[in-house]
Amino acid sequence: MNIYHIAARVTLIASAILIVAGCDQKKSEVAPPASGGAAKKTEYTFAMVAKSQSNPVFQAARFGAEDTAVEVGKKLGVKINILWRTPNEDDAQKQVENIEQLVLQGVDGISVSCSEAETLTPAINQAVDQGVAVMCFDSDAPASKRFCYHGTDDNECGHIIMRELAAVLGPGKHVVAIPGGNQNARNLQNRIKGALDEATNYPNISIRGVYYSKEVPQDAAAKIEEVQTANPDIDGWAMIGSWSLFTDALLKWEPGKVKIVAMDALPAELPYLTKGVVQKLYAQQTYRWGVRSVELLADKVILGKNPTNVMDYSELPPVTKDDVQQYEQNWKKWLRE
Amino acid sequence: MAIEPEPVVPLKHVVGFKRPRFKESGLMGVLLALGLFLSIFGGSLQVTNRDTSEVVKVNKFMRADNLDKLAKNTSFFAIMAVGATFVIITGGIDLSVGAVYCLAAVCGAMFLNRFGPHGAGAGAPAILVVPGAILVCLGAGALCGFINGLGVVCLRVHSFVITLGTMAIYRGIAFVMTKAQAYTDFPPQFTDGFVRREINWHGASLYPVPLAIMIGVTVFAWWYLKHSVTGRQIFAVGGNEQASLFSGLPVNWVKVKVYTFSGLAAGIAAMIMLGYYGSASSDAGKGYELDVIAAAVVGGASLAGGRGTALGALLGALIIQVINNGIIILNIDQNYSQIIIGAVIVLAVLLDRINNTLRERRMTRAARP
Repeated sequence: MNIYHIAARVTLIASAILIVAGCDQKKSEVAPPASGGAAKKTEYTFAMVAKSQSNPVFQAARFGAEDTAVEVGKKLGVKINILWRTPNEDDAQKQVENIEQLVLQGVDGISVSCSEAETLTPAINQAVDQGVAVMCFDSDAPASKRFCYHGTDDNECGHIIMRELAAVLGPGKHVVAIPGGNQNARNLQNRIKGALDEATNYPNISIRGVYYSKEVPQDAAAKIEEVQTANPDIDGWAMIGSWSLFTDALLKWEPGKVKIVAMDALPAELPYLTKGVVQKLYAQQTYRWGVRSVELLADKVILGKNPTNVMDYSELPPVTKDDVQQYEQNWKKWLRE
Repeated sequence: MAIEPEPVVPLKHVVGFKRPRFKESGLMGVLLALGLFLSIFGGSLQVTNRDTSEVVKVNKFMRADNLDKLAKNTSFFAIMAVGATFVIITGGIDLSVGAVYCLAAVCGAMFLNRFGPHGAGAGAPAILVVPGAILVCLGAGALCGFINGLGVVCLRVHSFVITLGTMAIYRGIAFVMTKAQAYTDFPPQFTDGFVRREINWHGASLYPVPLAIMIGVTVFAWWYLKHSVTGRQIFAVGGNEQASLFSGLPVNWVKVKVYTFSGLAAGIAAMIMLGYYGSASSDAGKGYELDVIAAAVVGGASLAGGRGTALGALLGALIIQVINNGIIILNIDQNYSQIIIGAVIVLAVLLDRINNTLRERRMTRAARP
């Protein structure tokens, strides 16, 4: 037997010992504490599974959760850890894998924003059956066993955007278009439905169409430019999703010629208000998604309290030209700049 | 034993044979048919001339504004498709093209943000900022392509595997660099002063720079493939790699060159995107690799290697964009758009193949004694 064979055998045996030891260690970590004489738990782990890493709104939610974990932990005399497990891109299957992994890791609670409710529902139910508290934020899975939802009332949001646009457009005949984003996203579909329902209250407004695109700023802006060029009679955009405003391509539009009311008030959108190209924004409380996730999970897991409302809707405050400075400051805090 | 002389082909048969000028005549036909269809059935609309305030009736498809947007939207894909065609001709594939586009855009965006109105280098002269941004985008793209080429050659692994890996790596680097934040606030010398430079033509605002760059890249690629030594070598490698190797051609070096050119093309497209949209984030170009490969294949490039042209890639990208544009012009429900685009792509390829087969038959018949 030469030196290579001996080295190979030693390596194999050492690896086998390490694997066995590792498995044993893991088992002891995941094992639930004995119910009888166990000491009171002083450390909790909550996980957040958002839709996509590359969307800044979820980064704000993450910081909101991390800040609140410290505050709530101090108040309750426990340590709360936040695990952030979000796929790089919108991918419901990856979210399912993350939830399954988190349950195996033994987390105490999970807050998830569902890329696709139907795909996520069985994984959420399985997690709940294994004793993990699960809630949804931003995008709900209503048919699942999650204990509550926190976020925007999407249908109402569609109504608000269209109502405000109608007010901005005023009397006379108007043609309005709606950018649709991802055709499979339930929250966007609800917003579109809300906007279309609201439009029926205004006989002077006709809807030219719902135009879908990738939820990527450049793709969304290209679609809007193309639609506006092909339909110059469109004089209003009900932006139930505002991806196109994350670029500055539409900033060159003549202010006030085409009226725009849009969702969110992200830093990249604020110059549109200043310049008057966008008349009003409605800010989703993205930082609060994280704040409320930790508060609701702490109530449920640590204090054993159920939320008063299963549907914990957040406000949708309007943002105008006058609020731009305040929002710029907020974003600096929310994104820890 | 007397050797029978070979039969001589009568000159009149050869003289009567004329080589067709365009291999892409089928694609041109499809494009013209689509254009004609949209011009007739797309309808018309009334627009106000910005200069004269006169209300005029114009064709919805065949009007300067619309064709300008169409050219701009095509430019990103067409330039990348021209680059991808080089790779496809050698029998390889570049799946990382969308990620290279993204990384080049992010590098350029970080550079431009630094020299933007609120950046540390605000107020730097345009003569430094504009060439600097171009250099960063093109350099990043070419470097990524060069790494792809080295990976394919040195590791001797199929390009599908290498570029699948680098696709994730490049996008991951872009993500780490940006921390999921979009970079905006670029110096206007690069946006409005260069890529988004506006010209007024008969009352319409046009942005000709993306179109000019697209044409420039296509002409250069056409010349390079047709008239340069490397161009001939690219076709030789794609036609038969083993034979090229035994003939003493620098096969590995040719491969590195085509991947570098593909990366460079993605860098050029990223530069246009930065200048026009004024922002970049780590999700830029998501899923573009399939659109780019589709454009190259519609343009006549053979995934088996040895066949493809720069003009074909441009026309392929243009056909896909015209269909997209047509769906909007005809006010077709957007839910059906993917089905329509897919079907028309298949139809366009089919028509092109039929046209090629007929042409080859004509050539064979003409050459037969």
